[in-house]
Amino acid sequence: MKQDQSKKSDNIQQAKTSVSPVREDSKVAYKKRIGVYVCHCGGNISDYVDVEKVRQVVENEEGVFLAKTTMFACADSNQKEMVEDIVTQKLDGVVVASCSPKLHLLTFRAVTERAGLNKYNYVHANIREQVSWAHSDNKQGATEKAIRIVRSAIAKVRRSQALEPIKVEAVRTVAVIGAGVAGMKAAVKLAKSGVLVYLIEREFFVGGRVAQWDNLCISDETGKELITRLYDDILSHKNITLFTGAEVVEKSGSIGNFSLKVKITPRYIRMQCNKGELQKAIDVCPVEVPDKFNFNITKRKAIYHNYPGEYPQLPAIDIENCTRCGECEKVCSSIDFNQKPEYLDIRAGSILLATGFDPYEPKKGEFGYGEIDNVVTLPQFKRIVHYCNGDKLQFKGRNIHNIAYIYCVGSRQVNGENKYCSRYCCTSNIYTAIDAKKRFKDINNFHFNRGIRTYGKQEILYDESSRLGDIYLQSFEDNPPEVKVVDGKTVVSINDILTQDKKLEVEADLVVLVTGMVPRKDNSIGNLLKVPRGRDKFFNEIHMKLRPVETVIDGITIAGAGQGPKNIVESMTSALAAATKSFTIVASGELALEPTIAKVSKDDCEWCGKCDDACPYDAFTPKEIDGKTVAVVNKSVCKGCGMCLPVCPSNAIQLTGLSDDEVESMIDALMEN
Amino acid sequence: MSEHKKILEYDVLVIGGGIAGGECSLNLANLGFKVLLVEKDLTIGGKMIMLSKVFPTLDCSACITTPKVSEIARHPNITIFTGSEAVKVTKLAEHNFEAVVIKQPRYVNVEDCTGCQLCEEACPVSVSDQYQYGLVGRKAAYIPCSIASPRAAAIDIDNCTLCGACERVCPTNCIDFTQTEEEYLVKVKSVVVATGFNLFDPLKIPRYGYGKFKNVITSMQMERQLAPTRPYNTILRPGDGKMPDNIAYVLCTGSRDKSIGNPICSQVCCMYSIKQAQLLMGALPMADVTIYYLHIRAFGKGFNEFYAQARGMGVEFIKGKIGKITEKENGNLLLRYEDIEEGKVKEAEHDMVVLSVGLLANSEVSESFTNKELELDQFNFVQQTDMLANPSKTSIDGVFVAGTASAPMDIPDSILSGGAASAQTISYLKQVTEK
Amino acid sequence: MNSGKLNNSVKILVFSTEKISDPAIDMAGLLKLHYPPTVYTITVPCSSAVKPRWIMHALEQGFDGVFIAADGTDCPYGETCTEKTGKLVQETQDKMKELGMDPARLKMAAICSICSEPFVKHVKSFVETLNGMS
Repeated sequence: MKQDQSKKSDNIQQAKTSVSPVREDSKVAYKKRIGVYVCHCGGNISDYVDVEKVRQVVENEEGVFLAKTTMFACADSNQKEMVEDIVTQKLDGVVVASCSPKLHLLTFRAVTERAGLNKYNYVHANIREQVSWAHSDNKQGATEKAIRIVRSAIAKVRRSQALEPIKVEAVRTVAVIGAGVAGMKAAVKLAKSGVLVYLIEREFFVGGRVAQWDNLCISDETGKELITRLYDDILSHKNITLFTGAEVVEKSGSIGNFSLKVKITPRYIRMQCNKGELQKAIDVCPVEVPDKFNFNITKRKAIYHNYPGEYPQLPAIDIENCTRCGECEKVCSSIDFNQKPEYLDIRAGSILLATGFDPYEPKKGEFGYGEIDNVVTLPQFKRIVHYCNGDKLQFKGRNIHNIAYIYCVGSRQVNGENKYCSRYCCTSNIYTAIDAKKRFKDINNFHFNRGIRTYGKQEILYDESSRLGDIYLQSFEDNPPEVKVVDGKTVVSINDILTQDKKLEVEADLVVLVTGMVPRKDNSIGNLLKVPRGRDKFFNEIHMKLRPVETVIDGITIAGAGQGPKNIVESMTSALAAATKSFTIVASGELALEPTIAKVSKDDCEWCGKCDDACPYDAFTPKEIDGKTVAVVNKSVCKGCGMCLPVCPSNAIQLTGLSDDEVESMIDALMEN
Repeated sequence: MSEHKKILEYDVLVIGGGIAGGECSLNLANLGFKVLLVEKDLTIGGKMIMLSKVFPTLDCSACITTPKVSEIARHPNITIFTGSEAVKVTKLAEHNFEAVVIKQPRYVNVEDCTGCQLCEEACPVSVSDQYQYGLVGRKAAYIPCSIASPRAAAIDIDNCTLCGACERVCPTNCIDFTQTEEEYLVKVKSVVVATGFNLFDPLKIPRYGYGKFKNVITSMQMERQLAPTRPYNTILRPGDGKMPDNIAYVLCTGSRDKSIGNPICSQVCCMYSIKQAQLLMGALPMADVTIYYLHIRAFGKGFNEFYAQARGMGVEFIKGKIGKITEKENGNLLLRYEDIEEGKVKEAEHDMVVLSVGLLANSEVSESFTNKELELDQFNFVQQTDMLANPSKTSIDGVFVAGTASAPMDIPDSILSGGAASAQTISYLKQVTEK
Repeated sequence: MNSGKLNNSVKILVFSTEKISDPAIDMAGLLKLHYPPTVYTITVPCSSAVKPRWIMHALEQGFDGVFIAADGTDCPYGETCTEKTGKLVQETQDKMKELGMDPARLKMAAICSICSEPFVKHVKSFVETLNGMS
């Protein structure tokens, strides 16, 4: 520290006395053959800045070999001249003083590269936006400022060093987490593009939520048919390895080379099995639990199928509910309780996260849910419609005629946590209501809504439902409908704003709570991968508008309803978009990262962890070197933001291209007399 | 075929240089595919670079678009033709398309133009500026807008008097009146249609008085007044230059309206109107803003919260249908509307009315496909033939659709759609390499 | 401090960020919003990357004031930027006080990528403040 101080005061001395203060650092080889080009920009610069004067002054700066003015620095003719100068005059650094670097920094870096000079030996000086235009009212001041800015650029380029992009290997594999429609679609697309895919599904069956739906809005294809199509694609592609009952439990590494540990929970059923025996095993199993696949409106055994013909077409044993009574083993030779969880280590260049959503589960008593026996949720209603044959809609043995739909349950909450709109439910519900009305006799639909949001082309469905005679009743957030039992009948009442707040009542045979989407309750994967979540607790993209599938964690992309409520088309679209981004990361097998990153001086660092705390990217790790603990920068993670620079108590960190020497010499040059 | 045609070869032809076409081009180019991006307009960036801020983040639209646009513009694998149209696209076989692309003369050599604007100053001709949606004028020699890419001048030959003033002042001699229309024959393996949408023209609803009453403007004109590159530096009503203090928004202008042939919802008008209302409350703290709506479609990520925020700021929302707008002598406007909540017909006076115009299909592109039909849906958007599993697929294998060419959508959905189109294009192209 | 002065106008060093405040300062030029030509810019990736010693160096070398054009909430590197920039400004100001410098010579304000007008306003009022000191 002391040394530093004295050096600094020396410099101050120099700054005050000499024409050209030189802050020499003996360790650095300063550039000696610098070429400077001062641009007229037609008249945009030269009308206000005396460019010839600038040229004359900077020509005499230490290290400058040649200084020229040019009408248009960016013009092809000048670029050619620069290349020739660099080659023939053996220039070792180049400065162009022209417009903003936003416009032409890369142009001139490319020029130096074409001439065989490393592009980091180029420094740009902005004397248009920040000089001639900003000070068009003061030509003398503008000229003086231009001189100082060019000097400062020269000071910087003198200290510049050739840098090479940091090359890291990218494993040409993508790990797709979640095998719902989004994950399946992304996996297929990635495989078709030519990379290996690990498709990792926590459940024993693929298809996620869509497998639970019948006819899908707009296409009339069923959820199962869509899943079949995707599953066939997955099976037909050798590049995809599918794991079910699988969960990622550990993660290390970074973009290009993630390592994941995957835990595979056994099905307790051998892969090569006798299907007939298995059915017997299911029949004899004495354990009955609510069937989650049907949102608990039916029961299933502890050894179970998701649904007939599910994928993979092999039942599983729900070990948490299994009593190990052994009945199934007696009738089926494929049962194997000796199967143990397996752990696999996999490597991937990118991770695509498509873990989906949970349907909102109403609280007990919310619009009578859990208390009044004919109050169900929209997902349950879809399964009820699925299981009814013939022309009568029945629930719990009773015929259903009047159906009351209560919208925005669990969404757009005034007092609750979910302030957001769940986007898919208005359309999904209207579609299901139309379907029920068309399939069954004497159905009357009453929609207790808060303003229908059938955006875009979905408007057609709203229109159709109105034409079919569905009744729409609306209230605002602060005045929701009520569900009550009156004389053994379930009655839904509302102050309907469409009829001047008249209190209207409907006696309903079935009340459907149009429940929205909520983020997965279990966010263990999000925590493990450190993917941030937004205010709504869904995964957050890096930029809501322009980068909707990338996250702040380089190499991890997000797709589907895990990022926010979406319908199937929207999930598919985001899956394809995310697949493109993940593919781009791993496609070439190599990543070139910007070399302008933080560097730690081993000698000065006394690991205190402050850099680690300041770093938004976890780029620092403590490491034993020569008997002491120092901070080490992970080159493939550091983004060169510099947040670590001011926090280091021993000033052990320098940012490439913005070292103390560079910055302070630039300041000196700006102040030079 | 004409003998003058220049023959060019690329992997993919992307028609439309808006944000969806741009995103798709970038994805493809980053993976090493050669892309020709054909844009009808003089600048790429589409409608997005014309916007003020974006909902619900209130990011400045121009600021977030410009970096994307310059990335597209300088990508070595992307060739951009502005002021150009793909007039004829023929599918010869799988992975073998031929397109006739016509480039209109700009009368300016773009490579040499430095965007110094001296020609603009010199040009004596003033006409209405279409990039400011007619709010102000521009010259016949002009740079489309300050953040245009390429930021180069163009000569509006229809209005030019050929006086030569621009030629005389141009420091790089880049103005060239001898330019003529150029025709190219482009051979590609795949085509992406990203031709965007057309804004509804409110002249089709005469009862709103647009075009007749000066203080009735469209939402796009308001968008320009709010943009950083705005013409007036403040909000003015066009009739008399007064700062408005009681502004009305009429939602669903040209959407959800069978009488004008568009029964569907445009998906963005509610949100952009709410955004403009918030920006107006900031720009004109004393002003009242009233939004007349049927349903507020605040469905996307953060949208409902943004709607709640606008209500919290004091934007008034009236559930009502507008019958007729009439003008008072002082330029104020009387809105006759049905207040749905109260079930009454009412009248309200505002000093400025903004019509929140909807998004209509830009169906022209289908006419360019000659030997195979590019099917349109019932609303004239490009038909997505396998919407659920392959949302970018069209009726022609190897032709994919991106962005608002297929349906109304907002910016993130357009970006996603551009990404999906690139994914499907890549796997289509991979089939070639595998063969 | 006066020893470093080159002429009568106050000199300000602006630490500006590449992605956020640089575009705003550039646009101030584009819009010909004039400000004193003795305002100089050094570009950093993020405003929370400015080392106190750079600020001190600038002040020692003769700059009358240092202005940090902070990323604010627009920072592309993380939400903690404002807080971190605020902290380094605070620490530097403490150090300035110790050395008998007026802490008001260091100023920070969030400048978004289109905040050209606010930038010019800030700079002009900073010039007045600094003029008032000397």
